[in-house]
Amino acid sequence: MHANKPENFEQNVSEALSQPNLKAVIRRTTDKAEAKRAEAIANFPGFENARIQGQKVKDHTIKYMAHYLAEFEKNAKAQGAIIHWASNAEEASRKVLEICRKHEAKRITRSKSMLGEEIGLSHALDNADIDRVETDLAEHIIQLAGDPPSHIVWPAMHRSREDVIKLFRENHKDPTYSEEIIELVRSARRDLRTKFLTADIGISGSNFLLADSGSTCTVTNEGNAELTTTPPKVHIVTAGIEKLVPSMAHAVPLLRLLTRSATGGEITQYITFHNGPKRQGDVDGPEEYHIVLVDNGRTKMLSEGMEEMLRCIRCGACMNHCVVYKHIGGHAYGSVYPGPMGSVLTPHLNSLKVANKQTHACTLNGRCEEVCPVKIPLPKLLRSLRAKSWEKKYEPLTNRFFVKGFAFIAKHPALFQLFSSCGVIFMRMFSKKGWIRSMPMTSGWTRNRDLIEPGTQTFMQQYKKMKKAQK
Amino acid sequence: MTDKHEQATSRDKIFDAILRAAPTVVADLNTIQAEAAAILTESPNARPELLAEDAAEALMRRVEKGLVIGTSCESIPSLDQLPETVKGFLEQYALPAELKVQDKPSLQSLEWVDIDTDVDIHNDNTVGLCFAEYGVAETGSFVVHSNETMPVLLNFLPLYLIAVVPKSKILHYMDDYAAIANEIAAQGTTPRNMCLISGASGTTDIEGVLVQGAHGPEVLHLVIVEDQ
Repeated sequence: MHANKPENFEQNVSEALSQPNLKAVIRRTTDKAEAKRAEAIANFPGFENARIQGQKVKDHTIKYMAHYLAEFEKNAKAQGAIIHWASNAEEASRKVLEICRKHEAKRITRSKSMLGEEIGLSHALDNADIDRVETDLAEHIIQLAGDPPSHIVWPAMHRSREDVIKLFRENHKDPTYSEEIIELVRSARRDLRTKFLTADIGISGSNFLLADSGSTCTVTNEGNAELTTTPPKVHIVTAGIEKLVPSMAHAVPLLRLLTRSATGGEITQYITFHNGPKRQGDVDGPEEYHIVLVDNGRTKMLSEGMEEMLRCIRCGACMNHCVVYKHIGGHAYGSVYPGPMGSVLTPHLNSLKVANKQTHACTLNGRCEEVCPVKIPLPKLLRSLRAKSWEKKYEPLTNRFFVKGFAFIAKHPALFQLFSSCGVIFMRMFSKKGWIRSMPMTSGWTRNRDLIEPGTQTFMQQYKKMKKAQK
Repeated sequence: MTDKHEQATSRDKIFDAILRAAPTVVADLNTIQAEAAAILTESPNARPELLAEDAAEALMRRVEKGLVIGTSCESIPSLDQLPETVKGFLEQYALPAELKVQDKPSLQSLEWVDIDTDVDIHNDNTVGLCFAEYGVAETGSFVVHSNETMPVLLNFLPLYLIAVVPKSKILHYMDDYAAIANEIAAQGTTPRNMCLISGASGTTDIEGVLVQGAHGPEVLHLVIVEDQ
């Protein structure tokens, strides 16, 4: 599958909407996540308090970011970590590659990290002819399929069991001929086991960076992070600087929120804190431990009034509850980060010029903000990006013309009433049995669904009539 | 190779940008620490209720209610009973009498009669036995720290894992573990890895169906030792 580009959003969307099974495939995962999250929260009366506390932890860390970042650096170094800094994606990938080259790494294992995707690490490693082994089962599936991820928690949600059967039979050394899901998982277990144990370098992300101890933290259900970071001689962590929290005690409320919001589970099976390389006498663990701290647009967000977005803990609840995401899926966004959070992040990681259309693909129904574990006002942020996009004149001329025209009419009540009453007559000319199947200038709507027939009178006509009757 | 100059500039650039951004503030250490501590005072109202007042009881109830994926538990009066318990476990799952015991004197010195303890855990058919540092009732977790006798991989390679949890080390909340980690850090003895393990390895990546034993253990059994 080719990777969609963010600037082709409209085309990506029409392609997605024309796929007959896509909506069912997406909803299989998102509806389940939605139901399970609701159940988990019903079982946790303190959830709202936890959200408030979680938001405070992130806001506090953002407020004193320079202090905590310096603390993290100092303490991680004291633990024996080698710290690298990267301003942008290209620099971050290059730093990782330099470490790989220095150790003449032939095979690396990777545990799922959205930041790794964001900085293009997969491509960088492939281009450097390093055998890259994705160890998260979903990432393993999409690596074999050559797909980009379609969700930040379930990157392979767009792939069916039949796809997986085919991919595993073609690619695994000792594949299963069963079609049972458990046998497919065992097939991946067998295939990845030897790779875990023979990798030269293991690369992970980090869900939290603990400032007071310099720890990084991996959170998984499969246990692939520890199998990635323990056997190789070198462990490299790539992490965005917004992952900082003051201490482990401050990460705890966020851990309570993260799993419940992401999958509806109460806690992930594995939470591991990593501190430096193996200690003297340790039975296993890496000899060298690197942390690459990445900015890539985060300080820009901080200076452009988008600091609330830096609270994001990447749970995916906003996309699971988004009516737009549920129709078009993750690939249409053309970015590593889809859905509401992605529509805010992508303009800063890439540019607003190429990713402004995503900010318009939002009904502003507010669901994402309601379910966000750290109360990010996503609709507000999306609207501010729309306003910026308008100021910068990124909208196509026809849009600008129509919006300006509408604004003019809306400011002149007599004109507005004339246009709307003509509009009603015009629309009713095209309707049959209460529905409009197509009419000029509405193809964007009617291509995939019908438009409901308007009433015989406009709101203002009905209102005036009612007022008259009251007199 | 990494250019020293570039390294310095990237770091400086990031710190400059942060300090220039309006939402960030510079304050003295006491102010920052007081604010950070104030946030933590909210924890008692922002965490789930435990299933029992006693931490060990709460942990066991959590496991028994099926809230910890792929996990069972039992409680024994003293460590001497462990080999018998392990035998029962092996029989329950119809496993061969093979066991990889953590290289810890208190476990190695037990009477492992009729059980082969010299096995390779890279082979999936073996059972691992480890001694946990702590238990956490809130999440049904056991905690291991990497050290001279605790290979991290012992907890991930076998398909079956038995974790011995000393009853006196079972904590109520994750916050309590964070406080202990803080003490360990203050002594400068933080281990390379601290793993909170809350259930068997699992995945829902194929059509949303939960399968246990994705990469790590399929079955996890906690043995709480009352006199430890």
